[in-house]
Amino acid sequence: MYYTRRNFLRATLGASTLLSFNPVAPNFLIRSLMAAAPRSDDRDTVLVVVQLSGGNDGLNTVVPYGDDEYAKNRPTLCLPPKDLHKIDSLTGFHPRMGAFMRLYEEGHLSIVQGVGYPNSDRSHEGAMRIWHTADPDKPSRQTGWLGRTVDSIWDPNNTNAHAVFVGPITQPFGLNAENVIIPSIRSLHDLITNEMPGHLKRQSQWKRAAELPRDDRDNPLLHFLQRCASNVYANDRRIEAVTKTATNTAEYPPFQLAESLRMVAQLIRADIGIRIFFTELGGGGIGGFDNHANQLDNHCALLHQLSESVAAFIQDLKHEKLLDQVLLMTFSEFGRTLKENGRRGTGHGAAAPIFLAGGKLKSGLIGSHPNLTDLDNGALKFHIDFRRIYATILDRWLGFKSQIILDRQFEPLDILNV
Amino acid sequence: MVVKSEKMAGHNQSRRIHPAVAEKLTDPRWAWAAYQPDDQRPWNLALAGHLYRRAAFGASWYQLQQALSDGPQRTVDRLLRPRADTAAFNSVYDGYEASTAGSIDGLRAWWLRRIIQTPHPLLEKMTLFWHSHLAANSVKVKNPRLMLQHVQLLRNLALNSFRDMLQAISRDPAVLINLQVDTNRKALPNENLAKPLMEVFTLGSGHYTEKDIREAARAFTGWFVLKGQFRYIPREHDGNVKEILGQKGNFTGDDVIRIVLEQPATARMVVHKLYRWLICETEEPDMMLITPLVESFVKDYDILKLVETMLRSNLFFSPAAYRRRIKCPVEFALGIVKALEGMVSTTQLGQDLADLGQNLYHPPTVKGWTGGQHWINTTTLVGRHNLALALLRGSGPYADKLNPWAVAKKHGYSTFTAAMQFLLDLFLQGDLDPDVYDTVLKTVEAPANISSDDPEEILRSFAHMVVTLPEFHSA
Repeated sequence: MYYTRRNFLRATLGASTLLSFNPVAPNFLIRSLMAAAPRSDDRDTVLVVVQLSGGNDGLNTVVPYGDDEYAKNRPTLCLPPKDLHKIDSLTGFHPRMGAFMRLYEEGHLSIVQGVGYPNSDRSHEGAMRIWHTADPDKPSRQTGWLGRTVDSIWDPNNTNAHAVFVGPITQPFGLNAENVIIPSIRSLHDLITNEMPGHLKRQSQWKRAAELPRDDRDNPLLHFLQRCASNVYANDRRIEAVTKTATNTAEYPPFQLAESLRMVAQLIRADIGIRIFFTELGGGGIGGFDNHANQLDNHCALLHQLSESVAAFIQDLKHEKLLDQVLLMTFSEFGRTLKENGRRGTGHGAAAPIFLAGGKLKSGLIGSHPNLTDLDNGALKFHIDFRRIYATILDRWLGFKSQIILDRQFEPLDILNV
Repeated sequence: MVVKSEKMAGHNQSRRIHPAVAEKLTDPRWAWAAYQPDDQRPWNLALAGHLYRRAAFGASWYQLQQALSDGPQRTVDRLLRPRADTAAFNSVYDGYEASTAGSIDGLRAWWLRRIIQTPHPLLEKMTLFWHSHLAANSVKVKNPRLMLQHVQLLRNLALNSFRDMLQAISRDPAVLINLQVDTNRKALPNENLAKPLMEVFTLGSGHYTEKDIREAARAFTGWFVLKGQFRYIPREHDGNVKEILGQKGNFTGDDVIRIVLEQPATARMVVHKLYRWLICETEEPDMMLITPLVESFVKDYDILKLVETMLRSNLFFSPAAYRRRIKCPVEFALGIVKALEGMVSTTQLGQDLADLGQNLYHPPTVKGWTGGQHWINTTTLVGRHNLALALLRGSGPYADKLNPWAVAKKHGYSTFTAAMQFLLDLFLQGDLDPDVYDTVLKTVEAPANISSDDPEEILRSFAHMVVTLPEFHSA
């Protein structure tokens, strides 16, 4: 079933107590109901960020098999060309990333190559901080780029949360905001009001008690809290509606990331105003992508989880006809050194590819593969500043002002079909 | 004993601004004069609840009754200067904290427990205020022992002298590490203390220039944190002349503190912020209104005196302050715990409050928690709803520590109907619009056999309903 905003409102708000006691509903409630009511079939666009913690080896992810330097520098980690999913005569996906190859062929996946920033930081903490703050020049920057984004669009008349972190680890700094509270959720239950068992009969009275007009007209806080409570009850119904539909049986592989993305898909379907989802693979901290020794098998497993989980997510959204509203972006704090280190691992590097997935991509390879003979301290040089991607997403995808969030205007990339 | 809601409730008494009062609210002399109840502005349960929400973290039924019989000023006396030996209590808790100093989660849990148990809740309320105003985040400090010292420092001076406070925190290793100013060399003055000192802690933007910051940074050269200790290294201090906020001299860091404290803008900043914390966050105070407080504060920086003036005032007990704040997550959760006279797992609570946006020991930026309406969005409101459920359900992580029915019976309300009215008085002082009040009473089904069935489970559900009402989220 194709859920439009209109269908949803009919399904969820139609029998709401809001309407059933309409005659006594105060103006602000009626107004907020009108605002939520059918304005058009357009939904807001959504960004899903997937953090790969630990520094993903871009060279063994999008493999430059056509360049002899690759095999020469990686005697044990070099992936045999015959096993790769070939993109062109130079590059191919890691053997366990068949799902990404399919997405690529379908036009639902782009690779932005050689992404980084000047004077890259090679420590996990410093580099991750930079990707989170989007401000390499200010190591003491207090807020994350997505936190600032949410602060910049805060509006007391819209009580929905605009961003959430989905996952079991500590919330990444990219979401650190000065003003707004951005929640971390581990399951959908965190977003639904639960009741004491056995006393559900009077729920409508409960909501009525929260929504009845108050005499204290001068107090803006009470109105604000009432508006938010009404919104909570409406969201409850929306989330319950999506968890009960048959489409909830979309198949996801048994990985943590896939579970998180399934939740994200459900919340996108529920359409409760969340514009930004942030999730993670690698376990946070100095994460699983940090392979200084015996990298091959571990990296293999992580890339497999990434590509299978994202592919399932894209498939789910496509089935729901929601893919055109969604853009997913991966990032990692840095790539890795070209040369392996004698322990079948790699050191901390610099530039690396990032992936974009969704329904509105100008698909393909964006930018050229970094030169393997022109290195910076053993690592690839960047040629696309990551803040250009952030700016493109903010300005052209989410419709926010990147200049306010990133402090200056970065040149956008022509990567979106919007 | 059945108490009629009409009798107990503060229906509309505290919320309607009497025309005679409305006019006087903008007159500073009247606004800051001590509140003396009269026929137009009677002392009642609603105002007692209001006082305990602002000057403490909520009240038990006993405390509310005591306040009702003591009147406002004697209750404020007790909140400001409790008879109990607060120092002895705090030294016991300092010991508990020292024993868990390796773990920030442990410190967080002990702080919450201290807030629940303390004989001097106002001191903790103000410690929390300074924890946000002079914010240091454990993730950046990376040393629980220094965080422990930091919050103890805030507590020791929370109701003391702001001058001493500023001097102490400018040498506090946690603050300096948090601001990344643990080295400040003569050759490379570090502005990371000077800037937030002027912008956030004292003057506020618009009251200093970039040059003032650069010069102040030079005055702070030679201040270091080495091995977790503050150190002054004379050869790294720039002894030359600086010009700061119009004054010239070969200033040291202490001179910078003296100079910023001489500025009325500093006093105004603190008064303003405290006004928001104790009185009202819906409207900015009129400059004329707060001028007497600013003029007094800039002379002595006596925090206790400032807090005392605010808490005793006509303005504080007026409709312009009543329910004009949104509870922070700590106030929300502990308001339930204090009312029901229980002790819950504060390890769990510390985590749950973090999920609601208030992770103690981790203020999000150097500006602390913005709070107010920012505390609330659909997901945090759901989070509060579910936390209240977890606290009240009688099983799960918080176990059976809070029991509304047992508390009602303990205070003599031993029928189902009386207990419901008691809970409304306890949590909201019965202060709801009449139709809301009536609707609330219908939210749960009476027990099938009202004389014999135990209503414990139903009253848990009822209490949960009451604490999720919009009124309970306001302070």
